[in-house]
Amino acid sequence: MLNLLEKHLPKIVMAPTTVAMIVCMYGFILWTGVLSFTKSRMMPQWDFAGFEQYVRLFDNPRWHVALDNLFIFLFLFIAISLVLGLLLAIFLDQRIRAEGAIRTIYLYPMAISFIVTGTAWKWILNPGLGIEKLVRDMGFVDFEFRWLVESDMAIYTIVIAAVWQSSGFVMAMFLAGLRGVDDNITKAAKIDGASAIRLYWHIILPIMRPVFFSAIVILTHIAIKSFDLVQALTGGGPGYSSDLPANFMYTFAFNRAQMGLGAASAMVMLFGVLAVLIPYLYSELRERNT
Amino acid sequence: MNLKMLTGISLGRVAIYLILIVFALLYLAPLYVMLTTSLKDIEEIRSGNLLALPNDPSFYAWGKAWSSACTGSECNGLAPFFWNSMKIVIPAVLISTIVGAFNGYVLAKWKFKGSELLFGALLFGCFIPFQVILLPMAILLAKLGLANTVSGLVLVHVIFGVAFTTLFFRNYYIGIPTELVSAAKLDGAGFLNIFRHVILPLSTPIIVVTIIWQFTQIWNDFLFGVVYSGPGTQPITVALNNLVNTSVGGKEYNVDMAAAIIAALPTLFVYVVAGKYFVRGLTAGAVKG
Amino acid sequence: MGHIQLNNICKSFGSTEVLKNIDLEIQDGEFLILIGPSGCGKSTLMNLIAGLEDITSGEIVIGGSDVSDKSPKDRDIAMVFQSYALYPTMNVARNISFGLEMRKVPKAKREKIVDEVAELLQISHLLDRKPGQLSGGQRQRVAMGRALARSPKAFLFDEPLSNLDAKLRVEMRTEIKKLHQRLGTTIVYVTHDQVEAMTLADRIAVLKEGVIQQLGTPYEIYNDPVNHFVADFMGSPGMNFIECVVFNDKLIIESGSKNYQLAVPCAKAVTDSGLDTVLLGIRPEMLTDPKPHDNSAFVQEVCFDVEVVEPMGADTVAIGKWNDNEVQVRLSPESGEVAGKGFTLQVDTSKAIIFDPRTGQRIH
Repeated sequence: MLNLLEKHLPKIVMAPTTVAMIVCMYGFILWTGVLSFTKSRMMPQWDFAGFEQYVRLFDNPRWHVALDNLFIFLFLFIAISLVLGLLLAIFLDQRIRAEGAIRTIYLYPMAISFIVTGTAWKWILNPGLGIEKLVRDMGFVDFEFRWLVESDMAIYTIVIAAVWQSSGFVMAMFLAGLRGVDDNITKAAKIDGASAIRLYWHIILPIMRPVFFSAIVILTHIAIKSFDLVQALTGGGPGYSSDLPANFMYTFAFNRAQMGLGAASAMVMLFGVLAVLIPYLYSELRERNT
Repeated sequence: MNLKMLTGISLGRVAIYLILIVFALLYLAPLYVMLTTSLKDIEEIRSGNLLALPNDPSFYAWGKAWSSACTGSECNGLAPFFWNSMKIVIPAVLISTIVGAFNGYVLAKWKFKGSELLFGALLFGCFIPFQVILLPMAILLAKLGLANTVSGLVLVHVIFGVAFTTLFFRNYYIGIPTELVSAAKLDGAGFLNIFRHVILPLSTPIIVVTIIWQFTQIWNDFLFGVVYSGPGTQPITVALNNLVNTSVGGKEYNVDMAAAIIAALPTLFVYVVAGKYFVRGLTAGAVKG
Repeated sequence: MGHIQLNNICKSFGSTEVLKNIDLEIQDGEFLILIGPSGCGKSTLMNLIAGLEDITSGEIVIGGSDVSDKSPKDRDIAMVFQSYALYPTMNVARNISFGLEMRKVPKAKREKIVDEVAELLQISHLLDRKPGQLSGGQRQRVAMGRALARSPKAFLFDEPLSNLDAKLRVEMRTEIKKLHQRLGTTIVYVTHDQVEAMTLADRIAVLKEGVIQQLGTPYEIYNDPVNHFVADFMGSPGMNFIECVVFNDKLIIESGSKNYQLAVPCAKAVTDSGLDTVLLGIRPEMLTDPKPHDNSAFVQEVCFDVEVVEPMGADTVAIGKWNDNEVQVRLSPESGEVAGKGFTLQVDTSKAIIFDPRTGQRIH
């Protein structure tokens, strides 16, 4: 009897997590998906409404702003973080004396909440008292930096704060990747006469391709989830000009009692993540099997 | 005579150091600004600029941020919410770590039919945008009588933290040779004894990494906090956001900055003390199963 | 007690059949060696006996009781792993006594057993150290000590010497043999090293692709292989295989640009088989410098063109060709020095084995 229990213990141990996962991840995704096909507003209502909510969603100008912002943000955030992270990693890899200290400094922003980051940068970019005043005090009296309150520039403040927070992480990933490159390859290339730039461009960077992809997947994931930073830095404003899909979903689902619409926006976000994740996983699995 | 011959250091290396240091200063700048602003008085803030050092540093803003600043309709400062966060974080970290350890142990050393699929499904959960579970989770919590409670938040953080902690432990335990488990089985040890005598003694590094990672993630969370807490049970991130966005009277930037630093202190402290393990946790999470 | 019976054991991983209908009876106190190339299933068979893997079909009986469904701890066997698998956070003493600890043996008795075992294996001075502080050879002894402490019905050794350097391997081999003589417990031992197999075994089971090719004493395996695979596997340098045309009841070989007819012991079987060509198996030590013999029916001298010599110290291996097949012969170091084209080679076919070239089966 006891033997039987022992034999099934592994499965028993995994049971709670399995149940929680089935209910709270896949079950909930299904629930939200179904909800997005209903007319639900304040409370869930299970009247089938077809694609109505999705039509409403894509008819909503605020949603379009949010989507546009997402693409701008994604592109800039990922590109700048990658380039910055790679450059800093390459420099740090050159047997620098205070490497540990410098690495610690680059990475500490990741330890703080996006709310703290948003709050800090909100102050730094304060029109009137922040950077604008600082540069004016340095003598450039006509300098203007009011992005925070300009509708078409607000989204870029989010990029700045997000890059500050996350580029250290990208640097750490690249540094680990660089350190994983076989010494012998570098030596062989040097013997073959490759200059430093050639060495990196033709030999080392191609080896780092998997790191690039991992970094892109993770940065995309962070970007799609970027709710906290927007709330703290701009509140989505001015107006809704710096809204991102995550903020749109929260506003409509919880503040405006538009559950069905909120659910639809959440499902679109999910598909966005899957669109990046599935090809990546597929290519990873294929590489492993060859 | 070039620089290298004179000093033994090439121009290239000087440039590299310079760039690295400039960026270090750029990364540190916001922290510097937060600190100095928090120590100035309002007049000085309005007349001076970001980089100026405080003339007459005072902890007025800190005191107010901690105990009397307004966070919406209450004006008790951040203190009550600091303790809320502690009440949420500590149980959530402990439970999700313990559950993750056992899960990782099973998935790495006691594979059964479907266990790899289970792991894949769990891993997937690390990547979903939480927006897709926000609404149904709210309803579940309400049904369980846990809406707007600290316990409700603990439950949410445990459920969604277990995916990560399981990943960490499973990847780590895969690195432990399975022959150790085989030897222990032949020695007569069962599931629990093998965990206790063989696996657990080897687990210190990953336990530290997991706890630090979970502590940081949960303390810094805002989304679950703002959706699932109510007045009185909010974590410090929500309170901070409310504090900064409540302007009763004029805006007190020094209080805002002090409050931000207070909110960031625990995780910053952990990072400074155990940063090495934190970095390992980051890259462990980045290396997928 | 330590009698092990494997009845019709089959093991598949998914759709891959790893072991096919294994029937094996191991006597109490026997030293049985499982040998074969990588992937032949020998380690899998070990894991089945130990209970670390489930049998797909068949049964295992140890000491008279059917253990097919029993977990490893209920089978009363001990195993020594290739990587030793010592518990890294425990000291040597606890490593050895862990099995007793799990079986709730009282402390005093545990300590006594540890001391006895440590003395037997000469590791008493290492009891407080952790595995990380030991050399490879010391770790190997601790692994054996852990197995000995349990006084099991049988020991399973999974390539225990592969991780040791050559000299240490020879030392430990002798120690294991002495241990077996002293304790008399059944040992099932897996190795890919045929020298170990020949020197240690009471019987050897040669496996290929999940099937036992031959089960026999080292002498039988070496001198009486049942097929080409077994003949080829054992012996170093290995047996020579030459395709020969059959003429009457003799085999034709072309050596050193001349043709010879070789008489073989199983001549009748060869003619009975009706084959035109057969595979001649003859070991290098049967091809030597001319020396005194009393086997005139099966000994003759042939001309041999030596192409390469490999001096090995005690003798020299010389390589040449018969029928365009490469042939290795054993010469004295002196002959090896001067051997070249047209060397006079003594051929002794009294122990030659003939195989069907299509199936690899021996022709009797």
